[in-house]
Amino acid sequence: MKTTELLEILNGIFRKVLKREDITLTESTTAHDVDGWDSLTNMILLTEIENKFGVRFSFREIVKLKNVGDLCQTIQNKTK
Amino acid sequence: MSFISIEFVLLFLIYFTLYHFVGDKGRKFVLLAASGVFIGYFNTVFLFTALAVSLFTYGAAILIEQAHEKKRGPRLIYWSSISCLILCWIGFRYANRLTGATGFIFPLGMSFYTFQAIGYLTEVYWEEEKAERHLIDLLLYMLLFMKFLSGPIERSADLLPQVHKLSPASYPMMTYGLKLIVVGLVKKLLLADHIAPYIDGVFDSMHTASGVQLFMACLLYPVELYADFSGYTDMAIGIGMLFGLKLSPNFAHPFAAQTTAEFWRRWHISLSSWVRDYLFLPLSSLTRRWGQWGVAVSLMVTFIALGIWHGAGWTFAVYGLIQGLVIVWELRTEKIRNKVREHIGKRLFATLSVIRTYLIFAVSLVFFKAQSVSDAFYFLRNISFQTHTSWKEINIGMSDHICIVAGSTLLLILLYDFFMSKGDLHLRFEKQSALVRWTVYYLIVFAVFAYGKFGTEDFIYLQF
Repeated sequence: MKTTELLEILNGIFRKVLKREDITLTESTTAHDVDGWDSLTNMILLTEIENKFGVRFSFREIVKLKNVGDLCQTIQNKTK
Repeated sequence: MSFISIEFVLLFLIYFTLYHFVGDKGRKFVLLAASGVFIGYFNTVFLFTALAVSLFTYGAAILIEQAHEKKRGPRLIYWSSISCLILCWIGFRYANRLTGATGFIFPLGMSFYTFQAIGYLTEVYWEEEKAERHLIDLLLYMLLFMKFLSGPIERSADLLPQVHKLSPASYPMMTYGLKLIVVGLVKKLLLADHIAPYIDGVFDSMHTASGVQLFMACLLYPVELYADFSGYTDMAIGIGMLFGLKLSPNFAHPFAAQTTAEFWRRWHISLSSWVRDYLFLPLSSLTRRWGQWGVAVSLMVTFIALGIWHGAGWTFAVYGLIQGLVIVWELRTEKIRNKVREHIGKRLFATLSVIRTYLIFAVSLVFFKAQSVSDAFYFLRNISFQTHTSWKEINIGMSDHICIVAGSTLLLILLYDFFMSKGDLHLRFEKQSALVRWTVYYLIVFAVFAYGKFGTEDFIYLQF
């Protein structure tokens, strides 16, 4: 799946979980850039993403996610 | 040796001078010697304990890294090391209770450097950090005197690179550091130490105090704790700057928080972010299949652990439990709060939310401060507006002079926090004319000497 398609799907998940319509993710977006994306909502977002793509992130992978680009890369590796 | 003592001023002056006269390599030894003297001055056992934990951490990190390289048993080494550190900490913490003896003294700073050690080993285990091979650098990371007693709990990624390349403090850094020390002294000597004896008095005699006195002590204790602990932290960060080091911030105007979750992102930040990264994150990852319930369980465990970190006893566990429960409740009621905000307007909602958050914290601190849970419940049950004899009891025994000094200082601190939240007040102040700047400096120094309460060297967080 292309990164642009992935970002569109992630936008939808973030908008639904964080209840904000103004979210537009890019590869360089981090938690600091999105209102409501914090330690309390992070795992709920990841669970939604796991369910959507039918993948499972290991804890080590979660620790290494520094921005949305890393997230896209991890999903792409798992869905190849 | 407290920051506010002649011995410390002497130690500081000697090592500060040496630090800025020796070469690059010498600076590490000067800082290490200063830290050794500082810790050993309290008790040589404290120094040996800290050295033992540091050496253990140094070796364990290298072993974990080597095990990663060979792909043989990093998990076992990591968990064994963490268990050893925690058991050692619990052993010292609960020694008196476990043995029934009263001779054991909990080594000063142990809770803080043990957490630094666990954080560092975890980063090496997660392969986010390399194991430090220079023993002296790791010892400095663990033992630096300005943050040894009560933090900030430093991250290896922040402090080790600075320790690798110690440099003399620049002139702007020195003046900034000095200003922070003065801000810390104002908080401690003009506010915390003035009101502390009277709040202690109400807590010690809660069974005879009037309802209004209990109410005022409950309202004022967060102010005392903030002035004391953030005052200490300002001094620690300021002293660090005089040695060219940037320590982590611990407070970000916490009383402006509109929710308890936000409050904990602003209060004792180095501890709350530590438990977030090394406890809440793994726990919430483990329980993420449970959705909101997983977050709730992880929050409760994390905050109870944060409470227990402060000491043995149910009071601290209840203190943590209250924080966890409130944040879970806030998560569950976000929709309702948003509706209320729309209904009553943003500004009024924000004001009420700030007051609510402060009151919840004040109530939880009654458990933090009381000797037992039953005492805390007695205290809270008897809070009222009733007096024994007159409304003058509202000052909980403080003279008019103390009320004016402490009240004015509190106002100044709140204004300082407000302006700091809008941008760096110190840097903006630099742009004022020399006359304005030096008038303010002299006024503050005069106020500290004329109205400060000297003679109390202890800080509240020393006991943890």
